Amino acid sequence: MSATGRKKAPKAARVRIDDELASFAADPELAEMFVADGLDHLGTIEQTILKLEASPADLSLVNDLFRPFHTIKGNAGVLGIRSIETFSHKLETLLDLARSGAHAIGPLEIELVLKAVDVLQLMVRELPARAAGQAVTDVASRCEALVADVDVLIAGGAATATVLAAVPQRADESTDPVETGVTWFPEQSTVKVSTAKLDALVDMVGELVIAQAILAEDPGVLRAGEERVARQLAQVRRITTEIQRNAMSMRMVPIRQTFQKMVRLVRDLSKSFDKPTSVTVTGDDTELDRKLVEQLTDPLMHMVRNTLDHGIEPRDLRAAAGKPATAEIRLKAFHRGGGVVVEISDDGAGLDTDRIAARAIAQGLIADSTAMTALEIHELIFRAGFSTAERVTEFSGRGVGMDVVRRNIQALRGRIEIHSERGHGARFCLHLPLTLAIVDGLLLRVGTERFVIPTPSVRESLRPLPGDVHSTHGRPSVVQVRERLIPLLHLGDAFGIRCTSERISDGTVVIVEDSGRPVALVVDELLGKREVVIRSLGEMFRGVPGIAGGAILGDGRIGLILDTGGLLALAASSQAQIAV
Amino acid sequence: MATTAIVAETRSTASAGANGGGKYLTFMLGREEYGLPVLKVREIIKVMDITHVPHVAAHVLGVINLRGKVIPVIDLRRKFGFAAQDHTERTCIIVAEVALSQAAVMMGVVVDAVSEVVNVSAAEIDSAPDFGGQNQTDYILGLAKVKGGVKILLDLDRVLGSDGPIAIRPN
Repeated sequence: MSATGRKKAPKAARVRIDDELASFAADPELAEMFVADGLDHLGTIEQTILKLEASPADLSLVNDLFRPFHTIKGNAGVLGIRSIETFSHKLETLLDLARSGAHAIGPLEIELVLKAVDVLQLMVRELPARAAGQAVTDVASRCEALVADVDVLIAGGAATATVLAAVPQRADESTDPVETGVTWFPEQSTVKVSTAKLDALVDMVGELVIAQAILAEDPGVLRAGEERVARQLAQVRRITTEIQRNAMSMRMVPIRQTFQKMVRLVRDLSKSFDKPTSVTVTGDDTELDRKLVEQLTDPLMHMVRNTLDHGIEPRDLRAAAGKPATAEIRLKAFHRGGGVVVEISDDGAGLDTDRIAARAIAQGLIADSTAMTALEIHELIFRAGFSTAERVTEFSGRGVGMDVVRRNIQALRGRIEIHSERGHGARFCLHLPLTLAIVDGLLLRVGTERFVIPTPSVRESLRPLPGDVHSTHGRPSVVQVRERLIPLLHLGDAFGIRCTSERISDGTVVIVEDSGRPVALVVDELLGKREVVIRSLGEMFRGVPGIAGGAILGDGRIGLILDTGGLLALAASSQAQIAV
Repeated sequence: MATTAIVAETRSTASAGANGGGKYLTFMLGREEYGLPVLKVREIIKVMDITHVPHVAAHVLGVINLRGKVIPVIDLRRKFGFAAQDHTERTCIIVAEVALSQAAVMMGVVVDAVSEVVNVSAAEIDSAPDFGGQNQTDYILGLAKVKGGVKILLDLDRVLGSDGPIAIRPN
């Protein structure tokens, strides 16, 4: 059957389909149920068929495809919508053959099923308009055409060529429902909420969790010691935890879109670099805080560019190394230990330690690399101003690369790791928290003020012996911790607060690290570990050095959250003052 | 002189009713009485523990937790160059809405004592005096002669909003 032949479909059949849909739409309640159900199933079909396109040999996917079609057919049959029933049945027949192995699923079949999904979606979506007696898309002819195509495919043989020609032609047709403005059921039962409201909810729930924890540990409550109180508190805890989980999940989005951008970027870059590269994506349904996903895009793009530019070898080198002509980049996301790991790995050349060391020396970042381990040399790429590219390309080589990436990741309270093997490729792991709303921290006291330092940047805390604190220019400036001298930052002095401990050895030093550089914070007391909700101090306090935000503490007062990077800068400037 | 008057008039139209008249919350700073357009005032609270924020201008006392909201607190005495004074029973924080780089934010303003809400008619308002010098009286909406006294009507947006981010780099 040719494309022109299909167009001359019997008029009678077309009228029958329209009438059936109309009479069905006249019963809104039934229609609503059928439509919600049907759209759901069609969504599943669409997802499954796309998976099947990637792995056509997977017969279990065909089976997954068969079931929703069967359900739609069944429902339509019960409700007496013969048109949808016959149409679904036709596709079911094709899929039945496929799942028994009698018919192979190829690009044509996939295209056809997708088209059928479009038509079915149109049929159900336009039910409101049809019920209101308005003009709707002519689906009848498309149904007939598709049914004919299925027949051709089932028959197999030479006729398939005709179908092949006909498919793209139909792809131009609009599959959008005719705009009528008539709706009497929601497309999906979702509510649009502004992100600000959602953020406020998540913040307040965070406070609730903390308030609940404080209450549970309250001496008064513990003294009461009654089993009834304990039971009720446990119940409150269960409920708060559940609320928190729900509130958080509302703000979680899969990393899929970000990964998709990367896939596209690799495609474009591999063309412009002339390095054929394929991308494998795993775990793209891993969910992260919306804010994290947004702020992850730039660092990832940077790393993908670097991988293509520096990691993947040019064609000739790949051939010489006996590697497949098409390089591979793997994007991976997965949960690990209460956080999320995002990995970019490749089968390229890996980090060239000799070249990195040579460049770092040339750029004056280090004096000598002989005593450095491979890991330490890898670390060099995170130094500001480092660049291995001999020339500045459109994509990389400006030296504002990995240091910015690391800073961005750290701003998200995450860290970045490099695993690299010369000649076998590199793997960059980003370890990220699940959410930005809550931070684990150590509560510090300086005078009457309390501060929170995020745990990930804390190395250790100790009470130094008087002999371990050394002064320069009459002021204590370094502390010796084992064999290492670490610069001191007196938080009281830096923030203009009177400390209670007169000498450093009366207080505590907390050693924090940022970008591999340590600093020892001098504080009066360590008050313990706390989980706090990060609050912005607002527009007015933007750019206050050393302060990342505020947290409402157990007694209702605000404790400031310290920003390790900013503290290092403060330490550097205070040391510089001493040196003058 | 004439220019100043016009500027002051335009400003008052923008901030407090069509002619500068309206309700004002009055408060004391030293011996002077000031007024804020009542529509800008959210609430009046007792002085609570204020968390000091380092490296900010001296008149910024820090932040407080107002029922789960973190809001900055300003010392109006210091802002206007009065001598510092210990907080008393009557010391209050007026929580008001201030336009800060386009967005309205809540801010706390520490004052010596809150007096009352007065109705001021446009006829009772004089434009801010010009003491010479530049922009000195920028933030004064006008002077209100009410009940035998003079109240200084403030445009809080100009008192505080003009500051922008108030972080100062350590020297």
